[in-house]
Formats: sequence, C-alpha cells, structure tokens
Amino acid sequence: MKNLIKKILFIDLIRGLFITLKTMFTTPVTVRYPKEKRPLEPGFRGRHAFVRDEGTGSERCVACTKCAQVCPSQCIYIDYSINSDTGARVLTKYEIDALRCIYCGYCEEVCPVNAIVLTEFYEYASYDKKSNYFDKDALLRNWDDFIRHYDGNDYINKFWYLPGINRQRLPVGKRAPKPIIKMLDKPKEK
Amino acid sequence: MGKLEIEKLKETTFVLQMGPHHPATHGVLKLWCEFEGERVIKIKPDVGYLHRGVEKLAESKTYTAAMTLTDRLDYISSMTNNIGYCLAVERLMGIEPPPRAKFIRTIVSELTRLSSHLLWLATHALDIGAMTVFLYAFREREQILQFFEKICGARLTVSYPRIGGVRVDIDDRVLSEIYSFMDIILKRVDQYEGLLTENRIWISRTKGVGVISAEEAISLGLTGPALRGSGVYYDIRKHIPYDAYSEVDFEVPLGENGDTYDRYLCRIREMRQSALIVKQCIEKIPEGEILSEKAPDIDMPHQTKRVIEAGDSLWNGFIMFRDEKQEIIPKGEIYSAIEAPKGELGFYIVSDGSGRPYRMRVRAPSFIHISAIPKLCEGHLLADVIAIIGTLDIVMGEADR
Repeated sequence: MKNLIKKILFIDLIRGLFITLKTMFTTPVTVRYPKEKRPLEPGFRGRHAFVRDEGTGSERCVACTKCAQVCPSQCIYIDYSINSDTGARVLTKYEIDALRCIYCGYCEEVCPVNAIVLTEFYEYASYDKKSNYFDKDALLRNWDDFIRHYDGNDYINKFWYLPGINRQRLPVGKRAPKPIIKMLDKPKEK
Repeated sequence: MGKLEIEKLKETTFVLQMGPHHPATHGVLKLWCEFEGERVIKIKPDVGYLHRGVEKLAESKTYTAAMTLTDRLDYISSMTNNIGYCLAVERLMGIEPPPRAKFIRTIVSELTRLSSHLLWLATHALDIGAMTVFLYAFREREQILQFFEKICGARLTVSYPRIGGVRVDIDDRVLSEIYSFMDIILKRVDQYEGLLTENRIWISRTKGVGVISAEEAISLGLTGPALRGSGVYYDIRKHIPYDAYSEVDFEVPLGENGDTYDRYLCRIREMRQSALIVKQCIEKIPEGEILSEKAPDIDMPHQTKRVIEAGDSLWNGFIMFRDEKQEIIPKGEIYSAIEAPKGELGFYIVSDGSGRPYRMRVRAPSFIHISAIPKLCEGHLLADVIAIIGTLDIVMGEADR
C-alpha cells in the first residue's frame, strides 16, 4: 500500500529531481582549462629536464648510465668518452625520447647525483616528433624554462630524497636533502 | 510477397556485430549477436583487440621494471594491479613490508576501489540512460585522482608501490585531507542512491536482468561483486588477508537474487565499506619506515655477474667465463591473488633465479567475466545486453593484456 502511494505520487522521481535541483545552486567544479589551470602538486612527473648546476653552469650528469639501465621503456640513450688525463667519464650524448617515456620516475629516483628530473610542466604537446626528442641542450633548456616559472625560492624533488626510506639505502650523494636555491639575478617575468 | 517467403522470414535470424568500436562496450569488446526479433539467441564475445603482450614483455624486464607494465592492465585501478604484482614477488622472496607500508597500501587500494566503482557507476548509469550520475561520479573521482597526484605525482599510471613497501611516504597533511574527504564521499554515495535506488526506470531496467544463480556463477569463475551479487560469501580480503586488511573491521555486502540490481547494490555498499576502511586505516596508521630492509634495489641486476677466469684460458683469443651460482630472486613459482575492484586479480610468477621473471601470468577478472556474457544474455532483449556488459564491469586492457 505504501509503495503504491509512493508510485502514484512519483515520490521516487521527485526525490531524484530534488537532488539535481539542490546541485544547481552549488558552485561548479569544472576548470576551464586553457584559461584557468589547476595547480600542480609537488612531485608531479612531467617534462624531463637536466638540472643546471649553479657552480659549473652545465649539467650534473656523470654518465653512470644507471638511468638507461633502469628505464622500463628504454627511452634513454647515453654515450660517453673517458678523459685520458683524469680517467673520468665525459658525457658526449644524452637523449630522451619523450614519446616513448612512460613517466614512471625511476630515472630520477636512481640518479646518484640528482641530475635528471621530471619537472612539474605538462604543456609540451607538438605537431612534430622532433620537438619531443630531447638532447642534452634541450634538456638544459627545459630546466631553465621550468625554474624561471617556478614559484618557490628553493626546489626539491620528492623522488630525489625519498621521504620515509632509510637513508643508508640511498647513494651517498642523496642522503642529506639539499634544495636548489633559485638564483635571484634571473629576470622576473610578469 | 508470397506466402512461402513470409514463412522463410519468420525462420531467419538476424546477426548483429556489436563493437569493437561501440561506446557501450567499454573498450574494444566485440560481440557477435544472433537475434530472433529483438530477443538474443546466441552471443559470442570476441576479444583480443587490445592485446599488447604484457606477459611476454615482462619476461624481458627486471622485476622492478616489470611493475610498470601492470599499471596498464586495468588502467582505471592501477594501484591494486601494482600491489597484486608486488605482493606476488614479495611472497616469492619471502619478505614482508613494514607496518606503515602495509597501511598505506590498504589506504591507496581502497581509494582505487572507490574510484573504480565510481567510474563503473558513471558509465553503467550512462549506458542505461541516467546521465546525471555520470557527472556527479566524475566529480568525486577527480578528487581521488588528485589525492594520487599528491601521493606519488601521477594520476593514472601511478607505479606507486614497490617490491617490499611503497616508494614515497604520505604526508600527514594529505592523510588528514583524505580523512575529511571520506566523510564527504559517504554523503555523496547517499546522493547517488537517491537518484537511482528507488527510481522506477532504474528498477525496471535492472531488476531481473542478467540473473545468474550462485552455482552457475561459481562454475563460470566469476569473482568480486559479480559473484557476491549472487549471495556467495567470497572475498580475498577476508579469506586470505593481505596487507592491513586483518587489522581493520569491515563487512562484505552480499546480494540475493544475482541480477543486475543486486550487483549494483553490492557495489554501492562496498563503496561505503571502502570509505570506512580508509578512515580506520588513517586512525591506526603507525609511524616508521616504508621499505623493507631486504627489498631489492630499483636498479636490480637482471643476471648474476660473470667472472672472467683469465688464468685458465687455452689461447689468447679465448676467455673463460664462470657464472656465479647466485640467485637474485629465489627459484620457484607462486600464485598470489588480491581482491581488485573487479574481482580476483592473480599473478602467477615462475622464477629461474635471475632478476627477470621466467614467466608471468595474469589472472584477470575481466577476461573471465566476459565468458559469462553468453550465459547472462540468454533470452534477453538487445537493450539489456548493454546493461549486462555494464554490470560485469569489464575493462579490456585487462582482458586482452
């Protein structure tokens, strides 16, 4: 009997319509993308970059080839020569095929000197394949591009100094977190 | 038209090829349907349009690198895939993650269950004709994906767990945000129920559609909410507890009739239970490390090192090698299953002692659920086929692998 009255009075449908009516007076949650952008969380795995070292002004990479070994999609190509005087490795070629990359972040996690980083930048789609094939200079340019638009004063990536993991497991150079201080003499864009 | 021809028309059946590009088949599922009038006589599912060879690909990668492949199996619940794989390797190696990692894994896998069920509800309701639920469910799913971004930096292909623990710790700030969001989602689930549960259109489209008895469901190998809708009490979280499920309190919702409506109610109640599990975990989570001491490094070797024995060489052109008889991952085989949002997700791994899996086999729930489509659709109308595909919650990335 109760069900019959409910059915005749359309209670079930009116209840649903009341919910939609209430939602009409709430603020919309959609983001109008090209005009407004959602703030990214720290540690977002976006475009690749080579960290420009403040001291030397070039990349930090020591050509240990660990990132190429660990990469699941094998999109990193490295070549190096050995300096005959010091015996140190000199990086001659470093290329990342960003179209093959799966953005797992293993490379930045395994890098012993925090040279490579996946920056918080995602708007780099293009019409040609070449512009998403980063060589050494392009990676350094990506970094300059990223750090110029970076809001904070010092930058530290979550995957460089993995929080919560025993420091002894990490390579020696990664045991104490050292943020990259943004240089103050860079031009401010506004 | 002659009389004979009309007689002939009555006898003939109508064959319709549904898919692989059909918005209601949830991916690239193809169905070969034979109709008499509008009633289904026979249905043959055709799979394999999204085959990428994940199982074979895993054989050429190290155990840590192969974990990233499991993201792409069931791409809307990648956390549980990762956890299932990591759990299988951990059981093979005999290591156990620390308690904090266990709780974090439970939190993220329940969040994944919520997001997966929300996407199921959205698409299932959209297929049947309720558009509003689609928009509401995606509103909440977006927030869960944002939590994943805060935790690990990616929204969909997370690669967050790691063999022997998880990769990065969760901030207390994020944990408190998740806790307060769980209160919101409990209210929102009531909203979805208000829109659907008593709605007469919804009831007439789902009640009595795709009925499957408990015996048939077990013999077809259904798992997860599709089995529990028929009233079978089978949940791996309760039967073989993994991670921190033995330390939290939750109910396993069961259906009675085994039709689409009961499976819908099962999943809705499961969403409530998931929210309660997440709340309990955040209350109980201990401090400490998140990676086991014995966990393999992320740059683990794929084979043992070869030792050059120069002294024993016969001639200068030859070099003698000796392989060290050292096992990176212990030899053996293991099958371990977890309760993924879709059902029982199992990983069978054979190890030959090297750093790469000798064989990895995935028991994907979606693939087995597809085999139940012919049985469920028997004698139903064409429009009900859509409802049945929706209720089984199929993701083709997992079925074709």
